[in-house]
Amino acid sequence: MTSLTRSVPAFGPPRRLEIRRWTDLIRMTALRSLKVRYRGTILGVLWSFANPAMMTVVYTVIFGAAYSRYFGGSIERYVMSAFVGLVVVTFFLAATTEAMGSVVGNGGLLNKIAVPTAVFPLASVAANVFQQTVTTFPIVLVLSAVVTHDALHVVLVPVVLLALVALSTGFGLALAALYVFFRDLPHLWAIAGFVLWITSPLFYPAEIAPERIRAWFAINPVANALTALREVTIGTGPLDPAPVLAAVAGGAFALLTGALVFRALRRDFMDLL
Amino acid sequence: MAAAIDLRGVALVRRTQEELHYDLKRTALNFVRGHARRVHRHTVIDRLDLVVEHGEKIGIIGPNGSGKSTVLKLIAGVLRPTRGIVRVSGSVAPLIEIGVGFDPDLTLVDNIVYYGVLMGRDEHEMRERVDAILDFAELGTIREQPTKTLSSGMSARLGFAIATEFRPDILLLDEVLAVGDERFRRKCTARLDRFWDAHSTIVLVSHDMAYIARSCERVIWIDGGQIHFDGPAALGVEKYLASVPAGNGFTRGAQLVELAANSRTGEIPVRGTSPTEQGMQVFLIRDGMRRPISNDDFSLSDYTWDDIIHVDDAVILEVPEGERVG
Repeated sequence: MTSLTRSVPAFGPPRRLEIRRWTDLIRMTALRSLKVRYRGTILGVLWSFANPAMMTVVYTVIFGAAYSRYFGGSIERYVMSAFVGLVVVTFFLAATTEAMGSVVGNGGLLNKIAVPTAVFPLASVAANVFQQTVTTFPIVLVLSAVVTHDALHVVLVPVVLLALVALSTGFGLALAALYVFFRDLPHLWAIAGFVLWITSPLFYPAEIAPERIRAWFAINPVANALTALREVTIGTGPLDPAPVLAAVAGGAFALLTGALVFRALRRDFMDLL
Repeated sequence: MAAAIDLRGVALVRRTQEELHYDLKRTALNFVRGHARRVHRHTVIDRLDLVVEHGEKIGIIGPNGSGKSTVLKLIAGVLRPTRGIVRVSGSVAPLIEIGVGFDPDLTLVDNIVYYGVLMGRDEHEMRERVDAILDFAELGTIREQPTKTLSSGMSARLGFAIATEFRPDILLLDEVLAVGDERFRRKCTARLDRFWDAHSTIVLVSHDMAYIARSCERVIWIDGGQIHFDGPAALGVEKYLASVPAGNGFTRGAQLVELAANSRTGEIPVRGTSPTEQGMQVFLIRDGMRRPISNDDFSLSDYTWDDIIHVDDAVILEVPEGERVG
Protein backbone atom coordinates (compact mmCIF):
# COMPACT_ATOMS: atom_id res chain seq x y z
CA MET A 1 0.00 0.00 0.00
CA THR A 2 1.24 3.41 -0.83
CA SER A 3 -0.11 6.37 0.95
CA LEU A 4 0.95 9.66 2.32
CA THR A 5 -1.07 11.30 4.98
CA ARG A 6 -0.65 14.70 6.44
CA SER A 7 -2.80 16.15 9.13
CA VAL A 8 -2.31 19.63 7.68
CA PRO A 9 -1.32 20.92 4.25
CA ALA A 10 2.43 21.26 3.94
CA PHE A 11 2.77 24.22 6.28
CA GLY A 12 0.27 26.58 7.72
CA PRO A 13 -2.99 26.80 9.53
CA PRO A 14 -4.87 23.53 9.60
CA ARG A 15 -8.22 23.08 7.85
CA ARG A 16 -7.29 25.56 5.20
CA LEU A 17 -9.45 24.90 2.19
CA GLU A 18 -7.66 22.91 -0.45
CA ILE A 19 -9.23 24.96 -3.24
CA ARG A 20 -8.13 28.20 -1.63
CA ARG A 21 -4.57 26.87 -1.50
CA TRP A 22 -4.67 25.97 -5.18
CA THR A 23 -5.98 29.35 -6.27
CA ASP A 24 -3.44 31.15 -4.06
CA LEU A 25 -0.60 29.10 -5.50
CA ILE A 26 -1.71 29.58 -9.10
CA ARG A 27 -2.31 33.30 -8.64
CA MET A 28 1.06 33.93 -7.01
CA THR A 29 2.93 31.75 -9.50
CA ALA A 30 1.27 33.51 -12.43
CA LEU A 31 2.07 36.87 -10.85
CA ARG A 32 5.70 35.83 -10.46
CA SER A 33 5.97 34.93 -14.14
CA LEU A 34 4.37 38.26 -15.18
CA LYS A 35 6.70 40.23 -12.91
CA VAL A 36 9.77 38.52 -14.30
CA ARG A 37 8.60 39.00 -17.87
CA TYR A 38 7.91 42.70 -17.63
CA ARG A 39 10.68 43.77 -15.31
CA GLY A 40 12.46 46.67 -16.98
CA THR A 41 10.19 46.85 -20.03
CA ILE A 42 8.52 50.05 -21.16
CA LEU A 43 5.36 48.69 -22.75
CA GLY A 44 4.94 45.90 -20.24
CA VAL A 45 1.76 43.94 -20.71
CA LEU A 46 0.92 45.97 -23.84
CA TRP A 47 3.36 43.73 -25.71
CA SER A 48 0.71 41.05 -25.78
CA PHE A 49 -1.38 43.44 -27.85
CA ALA A 50 1.54 44.67 -29.92
CA ASN A 51 2.41 41.19 -31.14
CA PRO A 52 -0.85 40.30 -32.96
CA ALA A 53 -1.39 43.95 -33.94
CA MET A 54 1.98 44.24 -35.70
CA MET A 55 1.57 40.85 -37.34
CA THR A 56 -1.82 41.95 -38.63
CA VAL A 57 -0.24 45.03 -40.18
CA VAL A 58 2.46 42.92 -41.84
CA TYR A 59 -0.03 40.41 -43.22
CA THR A 60 -2.35 43.14 -44.45
CA VAL A 61 0.45 44.97 -46.25
CA ILE A 62 1.62 41.81 -47.98
CA PHE A 63 -1.55 39.78 -48.54
CA GLY A 64 -4.39 42.24 -47.92
CA ALA A 65 -4.89 43.40 -51.49
CA ALA A 66 -4.51 39.93 -52.97
CA TYR A 67 -6.91 38.19 -50.60
CA SER A 68 -9.49 40.92 -50.03
CA ARG A 69 -11.67 39.55 -52.84
CA TYR A 70 -12.32 36.50 -50.64
CA PHE A 71 -13.58 38.92 -47.99
CA GLY A 72 -16.15 40.62 -50.14
CA GLY A 73 -13.54 42.97 -51.53
CA SER A 74 -13.09 44.53 -48.13
CA ILE A 75 -9.60 45.14 -46.72
CA GLU A 76 -11.22 45.87 -43.35
CA ARG A 77 -12.66 42.38 -43.18
CA TYR A 78 -9.27 40.91 -44.02
CA VAL A 79 -7.68 42.95 -41.23
CA MET A 80 -10.28 41.81 -38.70
CA SER A 81 -10.04 38.20 -39.82
CA ALA A 82 -6.26 38.17 -39.58
CA PHE A 83 -6.29 39.90 -36.18
CA VAL A 84 -8.82 37.49 -34.64
CA GLY A 85 -6.86 34.54 -36.01
CA LEU A 86 -3.60 35.89 -34.64
CA VAL A 87 -5.14 36.38 -31.20
CA VAL A 88 -5.99 32.68 -31.13
CA VAL A 89 -2.71 31.35 -32.46
CA THR A 90 -0.38 33.65 -30.52
CA PHE A 91 -2.23 32.90 -27.28
CA PHE A 92 -2.14 29.17 -27.88
CA LEU A 93 1.56 29.07 -28.72
CA ALA A 94 2.62 31.43 -25.93
CA ALA A 95 0.60 29.63 -23.26
CA THR A 96 1.62 26.11 -24.27
CA THR A 97 5.29 27.00 -24.71
CA GLU A 98 5.45 28.65 -21.30
CA ALA A 99 3.57 25.77 -19.66
CA MET A 100 5.92 23.25 -21.27
CA GLY A 101 8.96 24.58 -19.43
CA SER A 102 7.19 25.23 -16.15
CA VAL A 103 7.60 21.91 -14.33
CA VAL A 104 11.25 21.45 -15.27
CA GLY A 105 11.95 25.13 -14.58
CA ASN A 106 10.63 24.83 -11.04
CA GLY A 107 12.45 21.59 -10.28
CA GLY A 108 14.47 23.34 -7.58
CA LEU A 109 11.39 24.45 -5.71
CA LEU A 110 9.65 21.11 -6.14
CA ASN A 111 12.64 19.45 -4.51
CA LYS A 112 12.20 21.62 -1.46
CA ILE A 113 8.55 22.24 -0.75
CA ALA A 114 5.65 19.86 -1.24
CA VAL A 115 3.67 21.79 -3.86
CA PRO A 116 1.16 20.19 -6.23
CA THR A 117 3.09 19.96 -9.50
CA ALA A 118 0.16 20.92 -11.72
CA VAL A 119 0.24 24.41 -10.22
CA PHE A 120 3.07 25.43 -12.51
CA PRO A 121 1.60 24.65 -15.96
CA LEU A 122 -1.80 25.96 -14.81
CA ALA A 123 -0.16 29.19 -13.63
CA SER A 124 1.61 29.57 -16.99
CA VAL A 125 -1.71 29.46 -18.78
CA ALA A 126 -3.26 31.77 -16.18
CA ALA A 127 -0.51 34.35 -16.71
CA ASN A 128 -1.21 34.34 -20.45
CA VAL A 129 -4.95 34.57 -19.88
CA PHE A 130 -4.38 37.60 -17.68
CA GLN A 131 -2.24 39.29 -20.33
CA GLN A 132 -4.88 38.83 -23.01
CA THR A 133 -7.71 39.75 -20.68
CA VAL A 134 -6.29 43.23 -20.32
CA THR A 135 -5.41 43.56 -24.01
CA THR A 136 -6.76 41.53 -26.91
CA PHE A 137 -9.76 39.70 -25.41
CA PRO A 138 -11.76 42.92 -24.76
CA ILE A 139 -10.94 44.09 -28.28
CA VAL A 140 -12.33 40.86 -29.68
CA LEU A 141 -15.47 41.34 -27.59
CA VAL A 142 -15.95 44.92 -28.79
CA LEU A 143 -15.30 43.81 -32.35
CA SER A 144 -18.07 41.23 -32.02
CA ALA A 145 -20.55 43.81 -30.72
CA VAL A 146 -19.69 46.37 -33.39
CA VAL A 147 -19.61 43.99 -36.34
CA THR A 148 -22.42 41.54 -35.57
CA HIS A 149 -24.85 43.76 -33.61
CA ASP A 150 -26.15 40.53 -32.17
CA ALA A 151 -26.33 39.58 -28.47
CA LEU A 152 -25.99 35.86 -29.17
CA HIS A 153 -22.71 36.38 -31.01
CA VAL A 154 -21.32 38.56 -28.22
CA VAL A 155 -22.38 36.15 -25.48
CA LEU A 156 -20.65 33.29 -27.28
CA VAL A 157 -17.31 35.14 -27.47
CA PRO A 158 -16.35 34.27 -23.85
CA VAL A 159 -17.50 30.71 -24.46
CA VAL A 160 -15.17 30.33 -27.42
CA LEU A 161 -12.34 32.01 -25.49
CA LEU A 162 -12.86 29.58 -22.61
CA ALA A 163 -12.69 26.70 -25.09
CA LEU A 164 -9.40 28.15 -26.34
CA VAL A 165 -8.09 28.36 -22.76
CA ALA A 166 -9.15 24.77 -22.12
CA LEU A 167 -7.41 23.68 -25.31
CA SER A 168 -4.19 25.47 -24.32
CA THR A 169 -4.36 24.09 -20.78
CA GLY A 170 -4.70 20.54 -22.05
CA PHE A 171 -1.74 20.89 -24.39
CA GLY A 172 0.22 22.75 -21.73
CA LEU A 173 -0.25 20.01 -19.13
CA ALA A 174 0.73 17.25 -21.55
CA LEU A 175 3.77 19.17 -22.83
CA ALA A 176 4.95 20.07 -19.31
CA ALA A 177 4.79 16.40 -18.30
CA LEU A 178 6.49 15.11 -21.46
CA TYR A 179 9.27 17.70 -21.24
CA VAL A 180 10.39 16.16 -17.94
CA PHE A 181 11.23 12.99 -19.84
CA PHE A 182 12.14 14.33 -23.26
CA ARG A 183 14.36 17.34 -22.97
CA ASP A 184 14.45 17.96 -26.72
CA LEU A 185 10.71 18.60 -26.77
CA PRO A 186 11.01 22.42 -27.11
CA HIS A 187 12.77 22.02 -30.47
CA LEU A 188 10.00 19.76 -31.69
CA TRP A 189 7.30 22.06 -30.34
CA ALA A 190 8.86 25.05 -32.08
CA ILE A 191 8.54 23.22 -35.39
CA ALA A 192 5.05 21.97 -34.55
CA GLY A 193 4.09 25.55 -33.70
CA PHE A 194 5.24 26.75 -37.09
CA VAL A 195 3.38 23.95 -38.85
CA LEU A 196 0.26 24.84 -36.88
CA TRP A 197 0.69 28.48 -37.77
CA ILE A 198 1.12 27.89 -41.47
CA THR A 199 -1.58 25.21 -41.76
CA SER A 200 -4.22 27.25 -39.99
CA PRO A 201 -6.22 29.59 -42.25
CA LEU A 202 -4.66 32.50 -40.45
CA PHE A 203 -3.54 35.02 -43.00
CA TYR A 204 -5.05 33.35 -46.03
CA PRO A 205 -8.67 32.41 -46.71
CA ALA A 206 -9.53 28.76 -46.12
CA GLU A 207 -10.91 28.63 -49.67
CA ILE A 208 -7.48 28.79 -51.33
CA ALA A 209 -6.23 25.65 -49.60
CA PRO A 210 -6.44 22.38 -51.54
CA GLU A 211 -9.32 20.08 -50.63
CA ARG A 212 -7.22 17.53 -48.74
CA ILE A 213 -5.59 20.23 -46.62
CA ARG A 214 -9.05 21.47 -45.66
CA ALA A 215 -9.71 18.09 -44.05
CA TRP A 216 -6.81 18.93 -41.74
CA PHE A 217 -8.50 22.23 -40.81
CA ALA A 218 -11.38 20.18 -39.45
CA ILE A 219 -9.19 18.17 -37.09
CA ASN A 220 -6.65 20.89 -36.29
CA PRO A 221 -7.90 22.01 -32.87
CA VAL A 222 -6.34 25.46 -33.23
CA ALA A 223 -8.01 25.99 -36.60
CA ASN A 224 -11.31 25.01 -35.00
CA ALA A 225 -10.95 27.57 -32.24
CA LEU A 226 -9.91 30.15 -34.80
CA THR A 227 -12.90 29.48 -37.06
CA ALA A 228 -15.24 29.58 -34.06
CA LEU A 229 -13.88 32.89 -32.81
CA ARG A 230 -14.21 34.41 -36.28
CA GLU A 231 -17.78 33.13 -36.49
CA VAL A 232 -18.82 34.83 -33.25
CA THR A 233 -16.88 38.07 -33.82
CA ILE A 234 -17.04 38.88 -37.52
CA GLY A 235 -19.52 36.29 -38.79
CA THR A 236 -22.09 37.51 -41.27
CA GLY A 237 -25.67 36.38 -41.23
CA PRO A 238 -27.26 34.08 -38.65
CA LEU A 239 -24.92 32.25 -36.30
CA ASP A 240 -23.53 28.94 -37.49
CA PRO A 241 -23.25 26.84 -34.31
CA ALA A 242 -21.08 24.11 -35.86
CA PRO A 243 -17.65 25.76 -35.41
CA VAL A 244 -18.52 26.89 -31.87
CA LEU A 245 -19.56 23.38 -30.89
CA ALA A 246 -16.44 21.94 -32.53
CA ALA A 247 -14.23 24.37 -30.59
CA VAL A 248 -15.90 23.60 -27.27
CA ALA A 249 -15.69 19.86 -27.85
CA GLY A 250 -12.04 20.15 -28.92
CA GLY A 251 -11.20 22.21 -25.83
CA ALA A 252 -12.90 19.80 -23.45
CA PHE A 253 -11.26 16.80 -25.08
CA ALA A 254 -7.79 18.37 -25.02
CA LEU A 255 -8.19 19.41 -21.37
CA LEU A 256 -9.24 15.94 -20.31
CA THR A 257 -6.51 14.20 -22.29
CA GLY A 258 -3.84 16.62 -21.06
CA ALA A 259 -4.89 16.15 -17.44
CA LEU A 260 -4.80 12.36 -17.81
CA VAL A 261 -1.34 12.42 -19.43
CA PHE A 262 -0.07 14.67 -16.65
CA ARG A 263 -1.55 12.43 -13.99
CA ALA A 264 -0.10 9.29 -15.50
CA LEU A 265 3.42 10.69 -15.78
CA ARG A 266 3.51 12.70 -12.54
CA ARG A 267 4.74 9.78 -10.44
CA ASP A 268 8.20 9.76 -11.98
CA PHE A 269 8.69 13.54 -12.16
CA MET A 270 10.75 13.95 -9.03
CA ASP A 271 13.28 11.33 -10.11
CA LEU A 272 14.25 13.42 -13.11
CA LEU A 273 14.01 16.95 -11.75
CA MET B 1 -1.28 11.49 20.32
CA ALA B 2 0.25 10.32 17.08
CA ALA B 3 4.00 10.41 16.66
CA ALA B 4 5.40 13.48 14.88
CA ILE B 5 6.89 11.36 12.13
CA ASP B 6 5.97 7.79 11.41
CA LEU B 7 7.57 5.87 8.55
CA ARG B 8 6.37 2.31 8.15
CA GLY B 9 8.00 -0.13 5.77
CA VAL B 10 8.96 2.73 3.50
CA ALA B 11 10.69 1.90 0.25
CA LEU B 12 11.62 4.29 -2.51
CA VAL B 13 12.53 3.13 -5.99
CA ARG B 14 13.77 5.84 -8.32
CA ARG B 15 14.71 6.11 -11.94
CA THR B 16 18.42 6.56 -12.32
CA GLN B 17 19.89 9.88 -13.35
CA GLU B 18 21.18 8.55 -16.67
CA GLU B 19 17.57 8.85 -17.76
CA LEU B 20 18.23 12.57 -17.95
CA HIS B 21 19.89 11.92 -21.27
CA TYR B 22 16.74 10.32 -22.50
CA ASP B 23 15.36 12.29 -25.39
CA LEU B 24 12.78 12.01 -28.10
CA LYS B 25 15.32 11.50 -30.85
CA ARG B 26 16.90 8.53 -29.13
CA THR B 27 13.54 7.09 -28.17
CA ALA B 28 12.37 7.30 -31.76
CA LEU B 29 15.60 5.72 -33.03
CA ASN B 30 15.35 2.89 -30.52
CA PHE B 31 11.75 2.37 -31.45
CA VAL B 32 12.65 2.11 -35.11
CA ARG B 33 15.43 -0.34 -34.31
CA GLY B 34 12.85 -2.37 -32.48
CA HIS B 35 14.16 -2.22 -28.95
CA ALA B 36 12.51 0.14 -26.55
CA ARG B 37 14.95 1.15 -23.86
CA ARG B 38 14.15 -0.23 -20.48
CA VAL B 39 13.79 2.26 -17.70
CA HIS B 40 16.50 1.74 -15.12
CA ARG B 41 15.36 1.88 -11.54
CA HIS B 42 17.16 1.35 -8.31
CA THR B 43 16.12 1.12 -4.71
CA VAL B 44 17.20 4.16 -2.72
CA ILE B 45 15.36 3.40 0.50
CA ASP B 46 14.45 -0.10 1.51
CA ARG B 47 12.03 -1.24 4.23
CA LEU B 48 12.64 1.71 6.48
CA ASP B 49 10.79 2.03 9.76
CA LEU B 50 11.22 5.19 11.78
CA VAL B 51 9.12 6.74 14.50
CA VAL B 52 9.99 10.18 15.81
CA GLU B 53 8.06 11.50 18.79
CA HIS B 54 7.05 15.14 19.20
CA GLY B 55 9.92 17.26 20.47
CA GLU B 56 12.63 14.74 19.65
CA LYS B 57 15.88 16.01 18.14
CA ILE B 58 17.45 13.39 15.96
CA GLY B 59 20.51 13.37 13.76
CA ILE B 60 20.85 11.31 10.61
CA ILE B 61 24.35 10.20 9.70
CA GLY B 62 25.87 7.93 7.13
CA PRO B 63 28.15 7.96 4.09
CA ASN B 64 27.39 9.94 0.94
CA GLY B 65 24.63 8.49 -1.15
CA SER B 66 23.27 6.38 1.67
CA GLY B 67 19.83 8.00 1.51
CA LYS B 68 20.01 10.53 4.35
CA SER B 69 18.66 13.50 2.38
CA THR B 70 16.12 11.24 0.70
CA VAL B 71 14.64 10.41 4.11
CA LEU B 72 14.25 14.14 4.78
CA LYS B 73 12.53 14.61 1.41
CA LEU B 74 10.13 11.78 2.20
CA ILE B 75 9.26 13.42 5.51
CA ALA B 76 8.86 16.80 3.81
CA GLY B 77 6.43 15.26 1.32
CA VAL B 78 8.63 16.26 -1.60
CA LEU B 79 9.09 12.61 -2.51
CA ARG B 80 6.38 9.99 -2.20
CA PRO B 81 7.26 6.48 -1.13
CA THR B 82 6.98 3.67 -3.65
CA ARG B 83 5.81 1.37 -0.88
CA GLY B 84 4.93 1.93 2.73
CA ILE B 85 3.36 4.73 4.69
CA VAL B 86 4.68 8.15 5.63
CA ARG B 87 2.68 9.89 8.33
CA VAL B 88 3.54 13.37 9.46
CA SER B 89 1.63 15.14 12.17
CA GLY B 90 2.15 18.88 12.40
CA SER B 91 3.48 21.61 10.16
CA VAL B 92 6.74 20.99 8.35
CA ALA B 93 9.13 23.78 7.37
CA PRO B 94 10.63 23.50 3.90
CA LEU B 95 13.87 21.65 3.70
CA ILE B 96 16.71 23.89 4.66
CA GLU B 97 19.73 23.02 2.59
CA ILE B 98 22.38 24.48 0.37
CA GLY B 99 20.99 25.81 -2.93
CA VAL B 100 17.53 27.28 -2.53
CA GLY B 101 14.94 27.30 -5.29
CA PHE B 102 14.61 31.07 -5.58
CA ASP B 103 13.64 32.72 -8.85
CA PRO B 104 16.81 34.52 -9.92
CA ASP B 105 14.94 37.36 -11.66
CA LEU B 106 12.55 38.23 -8.85
CA THR B 107 13.45 40.74 -6.17
CA LEU B 108 14.29 39.47 -2.70
CA VAL B 109 10.98 40.73 -1.35
CA ASP B 110 8.95 38.99 -4.07
CA ASN B 111 10.85 35.76 -3.56
CA ILE B 112 10.21 35.87 0.18
CA VAL B 113 6.48 36.42 -0.28
CA TYR B 114 6.27 33.76 -2.99
CA TYR B 115 8.18 31.24 -0.92
CA GLY B 116 5.87 31.90 2.01
CA VAL B 117 2.78 31.30 -0.11
CA LEU B 118 4.27 28.03 -1.35
CA MET B 119 4.75 27.14 2.31
CA GLY B 120 1.02 27.69 2.80
CA ARG B 121 1.21 31.12 4.38
CA ASP B 122 -1.03 34.01 3.56
CA GLU B 123 0.29 36.67 1.18
CA HIS B 124 -0.49 39.55 3.56
CA GLU B 125 1.05 37.77 6.49
CA MET B 126 4.21 37.27 4.44
CA ARG B 127 4.37 40.95 3.50
CA GLU B 128 4.31 41.82 7.18
CA ARG B 129 7.13 39.39 7.89
CA VAL B 130 9.40 40.49 5.04
CA ASP B 131 11.31 43.01 7.13
CA ALA B 132 11.97 40.58 9.96
CA ILE B 133 13.21 37.97 7.50
CA LEU B 134 15.49 40.40 5.66
CA ASP B 135 16.79 41.67 8.98
CA PHE B 136 17.77 38.24 10.12
CA ALA B 137 19.41 37.43 6.79
CA GLU B 138 21.15 40.84 6.93
CA LEU B 139 20.05 41.61 3.39
CA GLY B 140 17.72 44.54 4.09
CA THR B 141 19.76 46.98 2.01
CA ILE B 142 19.31 45.05 -1.23
CA ARG B 143 15.66 44.11 -0.79
CA GLU B 144 14.57 45.30 -4.23
CA GLN B 145 17.45 43.74 -6.14
CA PRO B 146 17.00 40.61 -8.25
CA THR B 147 17.91 37.52 -6.29
CA LYS B 148 20.51 36.45 -8.83
CA THR B 149 22.85 39.10 -7.42
CA LEU B 150 23.13 37.11 -4.17
CA SER B 151 26.16 34.94 -3.51
CA SER B 152 25.48 31.31 -2.66
CA GLY B 153 26.15 32.04 1.00
CA MET B 154 23.72 34.96 0.99
CA SER B 155 20.93 32.98 -0.63
CA ALA B 156 21.47 30.18 1.88
CA ARG B 157 21.08 32.79 4.61
CA LEU B 158 17.84 34.01 3.07
CA GLY B 159 16.52 30.45 2.76
CA PHE B 160 17.34 29.79 6.38
CA ALA B 161 15.72 33.03 7.51
CA ILE B 162 12.45 32.30 5.66
CA ALA B 163 12.15 28.69 6.78
CA THR B 164 12.80 29.51 10.42
CA GLU B 165 10.69 32.68 10.58
CA PHE B 166 7.69 30.66 11.59
CA ARG B 167 8.05 28.15 14.32
CA PRO B 168 7.20 24.90 12.57
CA ASP B 169 6.31 21.74 14.46
CA ILE B 170 8.88 19.86 12.46
CA LEU B 171 12.16 21.29 11.21
CA LEU B 172 14.26 19.44 8.65
CA LEU B 173 17.86 20.53 8.29
CA ASP B 174 20.22 19.25 5.63
CA GLU B 175 23.84 20.24 6.14
CA VAL B 176 22.68 23.74 6.88
CA LEU B 177 25.56 24.38 9.26
CA ALA B 178 28.07 24.18 6.43
CA VAL B 179 26.90 27.46 4.90
CA GLY B 180 27.43 31.10 5.66
CA ASP B 181 30.41 32.69 7.29
CA GLU B 182 31.39 31.89 10.84
CA ARG B 183 29.47 34.79 12.35
CA PHE B 184 26.28 33.91 10.53
CA ARG B 185 26.64 30.26 11.42
CA ARG B 186 26.67 31.23 15.07
CA LYS B 187 23.57 33.33 14.53
CA CYS B 188 21.84 30.39 12.87
CA THR B 189 22.89 28.08 15.64
CA ALA B 190 21.48 30.53 18.18
CA ARG B 191 18.17 30.63 16.37
CA LEU B 192 18.13 26.87 16.07
CA ASP B 193 18.76 26.61 19.80
CA ARG B 194 15.48 28.43 20.27
CA PHE B 195 13.77 25.62 18.38
CA TRP B 196 15.86 23.16 20.29
CA ASP B 197 14.54 24.49 23.57
CA ALA B 198 10.98 24.65 22.27
CA HIS B 199 8.86 21.65 21.51
CA SER B 200 9.80 21.49 17.85
CA THR B 201 10.76 18.16 16.40
CA ILE B 202 14.08 18.42 14.62
CA VAL B 203 15.62 16.07 12.09
CA LEU B 204 19.14 17.03 11.13
CA VAL B 205 21.36 15.55 8.44
CA SER B 206 25.00 16.39 8.93
CA HIS B 207 28.55 15.19 8.65
CA ASP B 208 29.49 17.36 11.59
CA MET B 209 29.74 14.55 14.10
CA ALA B 210 30.73 16.82 16.95
CA TYR B 211 27.62 18.95 16.47
CA ILE B 212 25.37 15.91 16.25
CA ALA B 213 26.85 14.29 19.35
CA ARG B 214 26.45 17.58 21.22
CA SER B 215 22.98 18.62 20.06
CA CYS B 216 20.96 15.50 19.31
CA GLU B 217 19.58 12.96 21.70
CA ARG B 218 19.22 10.23 19.17
CA VAL B 219 21.06 9.23 16.04
CA ILE B 220 19.95 7.25 13.03
CA TRP B 221 22.80 5.85 10.98
CA ILE B 222 21.67 5.06 7.47
CA ASP B 223 23.63 2.92 5.08
CA GLY B 224 22.44 1.59 1.74
CA GLY B 225 18.96 2.95 2.30
CA GLN B 226 18.45 1.02 5.53
CA ILE B 227 18.79 1.89 9.18
CA HIS B 228 22.09 0.58 10.45
CA PHE B 229 21.89 1.99 13.95
CA ASP B 230 19.21 3.74 15.94
CA GLY B 231 20.05 4.85 19.45
CA PRO B 232 21.79 7.39 21.70
CA ALA B 233 23.67 10.06 19.73
CA ALA B 234 27.07 9.70 21.39
CA LEU B 235 27.13 5.94 20.90
CA GLY B 236 25.97 6.21 17.28
CA VAL B 237 28.60 8.77 16.37
CA GLU B 238 31.30 6.72 18.03
CA LYS B 239 30.31 3.56 16.20
CA TYR B 240 30.03 5.42 12.91
CA LEU B 241 33.47 7.05 13.20
CA ALA B 242 35.02 3.73 14.15
CA SER B 243 33.55 2.17 11.02
CA VAL B 244 35.08 4.71 8.65
CA PRO B 245 38.14 3.07 7.09
CA ALA B 246 41.32 4.98 7.92
CA GLY B 247 43.57 3.17 5.45
CA ASN B 248 42.84 5.23 2.35
CA GLY B 249 45.41 7.90 3.09
CA PHE B 250 42.90 10.10 4.81
CA THR B 251 42.52 10.87 8.43
CA ARG B 252 39.79 12.95 9.89
CA GLY B 253 39.27 15.93 12.16
CA ALA B 254 41.42 15.99 15.26
CA GLN B 255 43.74 13.32 13.93
CA LEU B 256 44.55 15.51 10.97
CA VAL B 257 45.37 18.48 13.16
CA GLU B 258 47.59 16.26 15.24
CA LEU B 259 49.36 15.07 12.13
CA ALA B 260 49.97 18.63 11.07
CA ALA B 261 51.25 19.64 14.49
CA ASN B 262 53.71 16.77 14.53
CA SER B 263 55.03 17.29 11.06
CA ARG B 264 57.92 19.70 10.64
CA THR B 265 56.42 21.71 7.80
CA GLY B 266 52.80 21.54 8.89
CA GLU B 267 52.06 19.71 5.70
CA ILE B 268 50.12 16.57 5.49
CA PRO B 269 51.32 14.12 2.90
CA VAL B 270 48.33 13.42 0.76
CA ARG B 271 50.03 13.26 -2.58
CA GLY B 272 50.00 9.80 -4.07
CA THR B 273 46.95 8.77 -2.19
CA SER B 274 45.10 11.90 -3.11
CA PRO B 275 41.35 11.79 -2.95
CA THR B 276 40.87 12.95 -6.50
CA GLU B 277 42.84 9.98 -7.71
CA GLN B 278 40.16 7.94 -6.12
CA GLY B 279 37.55 9.95 -7.96
CA MET B 280 36.73 12.25 -5.07
CA GLN B 281 36.76 16.00 -4.98
CA VAL B 282 38.23 18.09 -2.20
CA PHE B 283 36.52 21.37 -1.33
CA LEU B 284 37.51 24.25 0.81
CA ILE B 285 34.75 26.22 2.47
CA ARG B 286 35.88 29.70 3.34
CA ASP B 287 33.65 32.71 4.02
CA GLY B 288 30.66 30.73 2.99
CA MET B 289 32.09 30.01 -0.45
CA ARG B 290 32.77 26.48 -1.48
CA ARG B 291 35.53 25.87 -3.99
CA PRO B 292 37.50 22.89 -5.13
CA ILE B 293 41.14 22.64 -4.14
CA SER B 294 43.81 21.00 -6.16
CA ASN B 295 45.52 18.17 -4.35
CA ASP B 296 49.03 19.01 -5.41
CA ASP B 297 49.19 21.89 -3.00
CA PHE B 298 47.02 20.49 -0.28
CA SER B 299 49.01 21.67 2.68
CA LEU B 300 47.56 22.72 6.00
CA SER B 301 49.71 25.83 6.20
CA ASP B 302 47.48 27.51 3.62
CA TYR B 303 44.43 27.29 5.78
CA THR B 304 43.17 29.08 8.84
CA TRP B 305 40.89 27.96 11.61
CA ASP B 306 37.90 29.42 9.85
CA ASP B 307 38.20 26.97 7.01
CA ILE B 308 36.44 23.71 6.55
CA ILE B 309 37.77 21.12 4.18
CA HIS B 310 35.41 18.65 2.62
CA VAL B 311 36.07 15.56 0.62
CA ASP B 312 32.93 15.20 -1.40
CA ASP B 313 30.52 16.25 1.30
CA ALA B 314 32.18 14.86 4.37
CA VAL B 315 34.04 17.22 6.66
CA ILE B 316 37.55 15.94 7.05
CA LEU B 317 39.07 18.91 8.70
CA GLU B 318 37.56 21.52 10.85
CA VAL B 319 40.32 23.26 12.71
CA PRO B 320 39.11 24.35 16.13
CA GLU B 321 39.05 28.00 17.03
CA GLY B 322 42.21 29.41 18.59
CA GLU B 323 44.44 26.70 17.27
CA ARG B 324 47.16 27.73 14.89
CA VAL B 325 47.77 25.75 11.83
CA GLY B 326 51.00 25.60 9.86
